[in-house]
Amino acid sequence: MKQTRKHQSDAEHNEIDRILATEDALVPSSGFLASVMDHVQEEAAAPAPIPFPWKRALPGAIVIVGTFGAGAFEMVRQGLPTASEFALTAPHISAVMERPLEQVGWIALALGVSLFSWLLSNRLAGRAGLL
Amino acid sequence: MTTTTNAAEDLADVDRVLAGDVQAFEGIVRRWQGPLVNMAWRYCRDRSRAEELAQEAFVRAWRGLSGWRRDSSFSTWLFALAANVYRSDLKRFPTVTLPIDEAPELSRPATQHHALAAQQSSDSVRRAVLALPTRYREPVILFYFHEMDVAAAARTMGLPEGTVKARLSRARALLRSRFPHLEGEHAAMEFGDLNTGKEAGR
Repeated sequence: MKQTRKHQSDAEHNEIDRILATEDALVPSSGFLASVMDHVQEEAAAPAPIPFPWKRALPGAIVIVGTFGAGAFEMVRQGLPTASEFALTAPHISAVMERPLEQVGWIALALGVSLFSWLLSNRLAGRAGLL
Repeated sequence: MTTTTNAAEDLADVDRVLAGDVQAFEGIVRRWQGPLVNMAWRYCRDRSRAEELAQEAFVRAWRGLSGWRRDSSFSTWLFALAANVYRSDLKRFPTVTLPIDEAPELSRPATQHHALAAQQSSDSVRRAVLALPTRYREPVILFYFHEMDVAAAARTMGLPEGTVKARLSRARALLRSRFPHLEGEHAAMEFGDLNTGKEAGR
């Protein structure tokens, strides 16, 4: 009985295999090669994509990063004396301390999100062959 | 022998293209146009669309030729690239297919001429393959395109062989459930053959 079932399954497998494996070969149309080569020639003749002007953008990027960095540093620095000026109990001090740190955290998060979106867009553009 | 020659020719043509000889790409297209068009045909079952897809695959291959790292054969790289092109294009513009549960069933072959019934069986099974869920459809297409070579299908999809085998098995189960009539018919044919064999043996 088991053998009969196996035989049945093999027969059916073989039939599906036979149907799907015996595919008539499609011959590309006569103009296919020429059409592909036309497209390739067009691509080859097209001007190369303009590379990202890193040299020009670099000073700007440094200024932006510097500004953000200085801002973050200033926030932390201003937060510290504020905390020491008040003779508060431990829980209050920590609350005051937490605020600038929280802000720094938000800034770091924003920078992280910006970096991620930049990387993602670069990756997608690369995949689509736009870069 | 042919494969070795093809590989050597591919390599030579790729080097020439990368050196700036655009015309050398023609050799690559000439050698691979048949396989790429046929592969696309199996994805969409539409001749003109298959040629468009194959053309797009060749253009992408030309653009990304420098990205072939030569750790795999050129054909493996080209098929994987083409499969990506076909997959993403069909995701954006799916072929009009019925879900597998709604795919037309076979009519009773007993009432028809045998050749016609066989042709109908083939058409129905092929249509049912297109109606399979995407994750099962592609392994089936590539498995049979690569002449039932699981390893080649897995390389083209960039998946482990085990995953491809599992998906193939599931796809077969879906096809089997869709065509119990076909199963019965062939089982009957097999039993017929067995019985005939028994008769002959007596």
